[in-house]
Amino acid sequence: MTPLQIGLYLLTALSGAAVVLTREPRRQAFMMGLNGLVLALLFLTLQAPDVAYSELAVNMVALPFLFLVTLAAARINQHRRQEDK
Amino acid sequence: MGASGIRTLSRSLCDILNAVGTSERHGTNIVTLVNFDYRGFDTLGEEYILFAAVIGAVLLMRTHRGEKTSARPGKVSEQPVPLRTDAVALGSRPALGLTLIFGMYVVLHAQLTPGGGFQGGAIIGSATLLLYLGFGYRTWRQVMPTAVLDPVEAFGAGAFVVAGLAAMAAGAPFLTNLLPLGKTGSVISAGEIPLINIAVAIAVSTGFAVLFVEYLEETREPDAGDEE
Repeated sequence: MTPLQIGLYLLTALSGAAVVLTREPRRQAFMMGLNGLVLALLFLTLQAPDVAYSELAVNMVALPFLFLVTLAAARINQHRRQEDK
Repeated sequence: MGASGIRTLSRSLCDILNAVGTSERHGTNIVTLVNFDYRGFDTLGEEYILFAAVIGAVLLMRTHRGEKTSARPGKVSEQPVPLRTDAVALGSRPALGLTLIFGMYVVLHAQLTPGGGFQGGAIIGSATLLLYLGFGYRTWRQVMPTAVLDPVEAFGAGAFVVAGLAAMAAGAPFLTNLLPLGKTGSVISAGEIPLINIAVAIAVSTGFAVLFVEYLEETREPDAGDEE
């Protein structure tokens, strides 16, 4: 295991813990994207660049984005329901 | 067989594939050769997992909302959702072209360098978000009508199956390569692998785009005048 890999393993643990410890959903989505970036770099150092690409596109861009949109839709719809009452 | 036995077996499998892959299939990215040739059937199943997930999400949201669309942004506590800043638009526009080209590069060099149809498709699909950030919601929805995206996605997913069935029609096992292998290192090489990767990229990129459209449509204000 190279020093680079050891550092990235530690960062993976740190960013993973940060996702769990962040309690505000919007910030949590961004932390999840950061965790995806660290995982992509880890896969790259483990000689799996194919997986790193998927990780980057799915876990860093698509998944946090869908979470953020869902949170926005929930707030908008909550407001709309209150208006209907 | 113990853990060490499995390790030895997988090690020897890797060695075999690394030794014979390039000479047998004329591609240099062994991962793609495994995913789209040696174990192509598994990848077909994986692609349909994504296909089914997208269809499921779209069905759930359209059941609730219908197929109508609205360009009016929703409001949170009487305030409209803030528009993007000029800096975001300025950064997103050049990034859109670069990301699209990079995604296409990843797709077209599937059998040569790391990447492939799924990775490139995911990059292209995500790049469509830059269209939304750079040019606004209305333009984004005009460029990507779901009435076109839905059949295109199905076409990409279906083309993979057609490639497999074509081999069966010729009397060979499912997904057997029928095309000439070409010169190793060329973009047009490794037989059907580039074609299948393009089909997968079409299915994955439009699948992502459809998902993004359906999700973002949930944040719109319903407006009778905006229905398509």
